[in-house]
Amino acid sequence: MRRLSALLTTAYQKLGFKRLFWRIFICFWLSSLLVMIATGFVIISKYSSEEYTKRYRNDVLTQAERIVWRYEQALAVQTSRPIKLKSWIAKKENRRGHLMPMLISDDVNQRIYHYRLNKVKPEDRLEYEVLGPSGRTYRVFSRKPQTPRIYTQLMYRFQSLQFVFIFFASALVSALLSWSITRPLNYLGSFSRRYANEQEVTPLPRTLLTRGDELSDLATDIEFMVNKTHAAASTQQQLLHDVSHELRAPLARLQVSAALIEQKSPDSRHVKQIHSDCLRIDQLIQQILDYSKLEQSNPSPEPCDIDALCNQVIDNMAVTYPGVPVEYTPDSKAHISGFPEALLQALDNIIGNACKYSASGELVQITTLSRPTSVLITVRDHGPGVNEEEMSKLLQPFYRAGNEMHTNGFGLGLSIALKAINKHKGELRMSTPDDGGLKVEIILPKVAV
Amino acid sequence: MKTEKYKILLVDDDETLCALLSEFLQAEGFEVETLHTGDAATERLLQSDEFDTVVLDIMMPGMSGLDVLRSVRAKRQVPILMLTGRGDDIDRIVGLEMGADDYLGKPCNPRELSARIKAIIRRTENSLGNGLNTKPIVHTQLHGIELDTGTRTALVNNTPLPLTSAEFNALSLLMTRAGQTISKQDMTQEVLNRPLEAYDRAMDVHISRIRQKLSSEGINDVIKSIRGVGYQMLTEQQPSQSDD
Repeated sequence: MRRLSALLTTAYQKLGFKRLFWRIFICFWLSSLLVMIATGFVIISKYSSEEYTKRYRNDVLTQAERIVWRYEQALAVQTSRPIKLKSWIAKKENRRGHLMPMLISDDVNQRIYHYRLNKVKPEDRLEYEVLGPSGRTYRVFSRKPQTPRIYTQLMYRFQSLQFVFIFFASALVSALLSWSITRPLNYLGSFSRRYANEQEVTPLPRTLLTRGDELSDLATDIEFMVNKTHAAASTQQQLLHDVSHELRAPLARLQVSAALIEQKSPDSRHVKQIHSDCLRIDQLIQQILDYSKLEQSNPSPEPCDIDALCNQVIDNMAVTYPGVPVEYTPDSKAHISGFPEALLQALDNIIGNACKYSASGELVQITTLSRPTSVLITVRDHGPGVNEEEMSKLLQPFYRAGNEMHTNGFGLGLSIALKAINKHKGELRMSTPDDGGLKVEIILPKVAV
Repeated sequence: MKTEKYKILLVDDDETLCALLSEFLQAEGFEVETLHTGDAATERLLQSDEFDTVVLDIMMPGMSGLDVLRSVRAKRQVPILMLTGRGDDIDRIVGLEMGADDYLGKPCNPRELSARIKAIIRRTENSLGNGLNTKPIVHTQLHGIELDTGTRTALVNNTPLPLTSAEFNALSLLMTRAGQTISKQDMTQEVLNRPLEAYDRAMDVHISRIRQKLSSEGINDVIKSIRGVGYQMLTEQQPSQSDD
């Protein structure tokens, strides 16, 4: 029993009957079917037994009259063959099932037709009289009309083609109703999800906004909220961009002023400090500008040679980190359609990180691999690595790994890389191999959809 | 070196920065004149031939540094150092392709600027043959290119190839060491008189301009790119294949 209920529960969940669509559909359909059955009850109980009796009697008399008419016709022809009334009437009524139990005898009490009446007890019989075409009177015995049970009547009715039609029509109507409610909800869901994932506002369809019901109110409100959020985010981004940009001019002046002081007192360590801080600020500004450029610009994709990009980055690492050995395993078939500048930034930041944390000369291994629909770039260092908790935080802007080596950088590098990779609908994976260090995998689809 | 001071034209729309920089460069021993618009700079440069180097900011309202470069380059061979917003790679490369001699990201350390100016001046001095050029004069001929480091000319079919001083230096370095691979670091040091930087595409652009100019004379595939290392001038015995 418990297993059965568990089975039902899983089936319920698997089929998704928890969804609003199914709930509305089933409720509406069941209730419409119930209403129909109830209506059937009322109609049938009103369709009184009296009327049934009358109709029954009518049916019996009609059939009896037909038989008598045939009988007399047959007598008139005067054939020696017995008169096959039963098969004739059966043919006439099309179906044997339409033959009513009855017994007909003529005015001299001779039985001319009998069909299944012997099973009916005498007290349940009724007697009628029928006049033949020749004027002879026949006596007809048939069963007393019994009002069939309401259930039988219902079953009889519901077996009809109309009922099947009504059954499916109501299912169709219920499904349509359910769909008309759940479709806009699903649409709104995917609209919000798309905005959250891609920060892109796609306009909602007019039909949804002009429905005039509560759902269109909800859609309007959600669209309003998303637009507001988007505007706020863009303003913030623009502000960050503008501020960074504006900071460059005073920074340039500051650097020259520091250099002027340096000319007069060349050994001042304070000036050296100013210089190194200017450099830091400049790098930060550069990263913020890179980040917001990725956010804002939408160039059209062009062919990118991943191997060439990796080579370019590795060449530059040789200049920036001359003491770090880099082992590169290229795949010359690694070509994708994408944004070379963004990719270059991503690779520069990821490979740069690997080199930065390998400052004491640990090997950095880079591999590119062309797969049928994607390109895999693996960057593996043997530096201090990252612990599991920090790994997810690493991708947030301005987060820096809490290990002892945070000498340079602002924690924007990986966010820039992630943004560039997301722009390609790619994937960034990080893992810590057992023998230490960090392994970063970049998966880029060959055609960004 | 000549005895009078080298004269530099500094073009930037930030007047305060110009004043500070000119103070700095004067202390470094240069004579500095500053201008704040592209139009004024173009006019001044087309009028006079007195400047040894021009430091030109790209981002200026009105006529931009690239516009100035374009209109000046057509008539004057004065060495031009472009100041670019850092990371605006496209601007840098466009500037070099249009004939700038070098570029420097902005904001920059003024000492770096001073060093670059000195490098450019040294190169120009060398090319004029007056003073520091201690290297022996070389005449070579390869692939139909006649090179004379004394007169600093490269002849193809007895017609001089129009090369800038950086391009001439690069070509002569490659030709005198034909068959050898020269790293980008060494080339930058020898040709531009400065160390290679990260994302430094100056040498690549100079090489690509030399290739274009040679190719318009019908000489193709003589400079080979060695990926991840540098460049090589093929000897006449080597099959002329380029891997890029």
